[in-house]
Amino acid sequence: MSEQQPFEPKIVAYVCNWCTYLGADLAGTNRLEYPANVRIIRLPCTGRIDFNLIIKAFEMGADAVLVSGCHPGDCHYTAGNFHARRRWILFRQLLETMGIDTRRVHFSWISAAEGKKFQQFVTEITETARALGPYQAYREICQAE
Amino acid sequence: MQNELRQTCRRLLEEGTVQVVIGYGDGTDGQTFPTFVTRRDDVERLVWNERCYTNLATYLTRPEILALGKAAICVKACDERALVVLEKESQIDRSQLVVIGLACSTDGVKQPKCEACENRTPRWANVTIGDAAGETAKTTADRYAALQAFMQKTPDERMAYWKTELARCVKCYACRQVCPLCYCRQCIADKNRPVVISTSATLKGSFAWQITRAFHLGGRCIGCDECTRVCPAGIDLRLLNLSLARAAEENFNFRAGVDVEAEPIVGAYSERDREEFIR
Amino acid sequence: MSETITRGALLQRVSVWIGGGKSVIGPRQVKPANGSGQEVPVQYGRVASAEELLLSGDTRPANSLKEFFFPRHEKLYGYQFKGRQIELTDTEQPSTEQIIVGGRPCDAAALPVLDHLFNWDYRDETFNRRRELTTIVTIACRSFDSHCFCTSVGSSPVDARGSDVLLLAVDAERYEVRFVTEKGRRLLNGATTTANENATEPAAPPKRFEMEQLKEFLAGGYERPEWKTTTLRCLGCGACAYTCPTCHCFDIVDEGNAAGGLRARNWDACQFGLFTLHASGHNPRHNQAERQRQRIHHKFQIYPDKFGETLCTGCGNCTRNCPVGLGVLSVVEAIAAAPRENQSQK
Repeated sequence: MSEQQPFEPKIVAYVCNWCTYLGADLAGTNRLEYPANVRIIRLPCTGRIDFNLIIKAFEMGADAVLVSGCHPGDCHYTAGNFHARRRWILFRQLLETMGIDTRRVHFSWISAAEGKKFQQFVTEITETARALGPYQAYREICQAE
Repeated sequence: MQNELRQTCRRLLEEGTVQVVIGYGDGTDGQTFPTFVTRRDDVERLVWNERCYTNLATYLTRPEILALGKAAICVKACDERALVVLEKESQIDRSQLVVIGLACSTDGVKQPKCEACENRTPRWANVTIGDAAGETAKTTADRYAALQAFMQKTPDERMAYWKTELARCVKCYACRQVCPLCYCRQCIADKNRPVVISTSATLKGSFAWQITRAFHLGGRCIGCDECTRVCPAGIDLRLLNLSLARAAEENFNFRAGVDVEAEPIVGAYSERDREEFIR
Repeated sequence: MSETITRGALLQRVSVWIGGGKSVIGPRQVKPANGSGQEVPVQYGRVASAEELLLSGDTRPANSLKEFFFPRHEKLYGYQFKGRQIELTDTEQPSTEQIIVGGRPCDAAALPVLDHLFNWDYRDETFNRRRELTTIVTIACRSFDSHCFCTSVGSSPVDARGSDVLLLAVDAERYEVRFVTEKGRRLLNGATTTANENATEPAAPPKRFEMEQLKEFLAGGYERPEWKTTTLRCLGCGACAYTCPTCHCFDIVDEGNAAGGLRARNWDACQFGLFTLHASGHNPRHNQAERQRQRIHHKFQIYPDKFGETLCTGCGNCTRNCPVGLGVLSVVEAIAAAPRENQSQK
């Protein structure tokens, strides 16, 4: 990338197969435009989304990460998102202590019917990431010999 | 007190109640090391002094030690919490274990963690030896004082701190091996088909590893600080453990290994968990 | 007659070297004490100023010098996928001159031992390049602790092997200088003065075991039960191997993604279960007793048979850094004492 081009944040979205992925799909079929900065990775359930994947995304150059699944009570596997929520509470504290920028880690509940919410939220976090600039701090960690 | 310990262990071995006593033995310069006594005449090797640092509970899940037969284990009050967690996680069968509690006197074991000690007498031991110097009530603020001080730094300063600290990590995995609760037969750090965590001792690999280690102990770490004690690079891993312990206490009113009745918080959930950070 | 150098003159040289872009490595405190009560270790590392150096000769650094020749992670080459082709990119060879100041003789002595391995069936370019680029000034140990056993493996606190210059403290401000190589003489050229003072030989740690007795045990004691009884407490970490000046096992790993990546050489340690794990799932060394036996055999039998050198300099770092006080010395003391103990019991 040359310096002249404006900064385009890379955003990795880990979404659950049953709600948020379908929400994103709905955004598409409704022709709701959202930033191309987001790379969607579909997983069975937020309960299956290993926190290592969040770190992995940063290692591979992501500027922000989104983890999104079904609203509480709507989980296809009954309670996967409840388990996930509890882990996120702990994980966010660890990220704070490590000094990792928690403004770059987002969580949301987006159902299959919420194409509009998906569009809006993804646009919002893209703008947040754009304003924050590249996640240079973690890149430096990954490039250190 | 040491004599009482030896007599108790001799009796346990003589009666055949246990086949092995996991305790502390004498090393050079007054240091103590884990020792495994299987013959009653060897109980003279057992010691109890202010340098009995190791949390012996880490041996309870090791095949080499399990092969020795039914065990009696010496624990301090701080170490004992590991037994509670191990039992909750179905790693040990309490009925097949004799727990010898060692009460710490004021001039007992001296480690950084002793500053925040609130309970010097093991609570669930089958036999308790010695008299503790009395208990000191500690507030939540006391428990997390070191973390609180660290969190005064800005996020950038904290990141810079971990960059200099983890630059010294050589990935010897002493922190993992000594931990009584890192009992996985295959650690995710050793998973190589495919590799999950870079095995290189670079900043990238060391960040990924220490985040993983700390988080896998979230809501489970009992704060014995063994990881911090054994780190040959002097990395203050305690801060990471404390941050998760505090998150567990503040959000779920849970402290690992303190209450035998309390259910573990990981692997469980409540519909009322907070979610103001979720959109 | 002997050459001496003052601490001030030495530190002045260090400042000049640092100013000239050379990498100066020596013992230093890794961080200021933060009040946590955790002991702050002294490690060898690159210093940014002469003041950082701890030259008392009293504290044994918790790491060894090997990492400045054989780093714990070393990129061998990079690779990129270009369509159906793979493009390789060479790694730059090291070119910065390194000067080690205040090394321990037991660390320096390990380097000639490692030279055999890195020039055996394959001449390792980066290792040799770093050896050429480095000049080593060691300081004879003024004290020893209960883990030191250099005298048991044929070395001593004044062993000059592997050093270019050996310094012996005359008093708090002056060192007697013993030049070992021409490289060392060039390094301190003009900074020393001729004086009629010699340092007193520092006290050496007592001999802890007899090498002959150990070798005898290793030759016939492969199945002895002492291997198991002595090493039961081993936790299986790599603290011993990674802080050892002579342990040199490594693993070759690829790190990358669909676009490319790098191939690197990382330290590995024989106490890890993964070290010998086969792809089939079988592990020929399936417990810590077997892994410890391998470690001792490699140091005192296999390496000597192959290269005529003991793979141990008696620095004691393994025992010192072990979470449970188990290292070469404690294992060897237990097994070397074993035959006699058994006899007396019968």
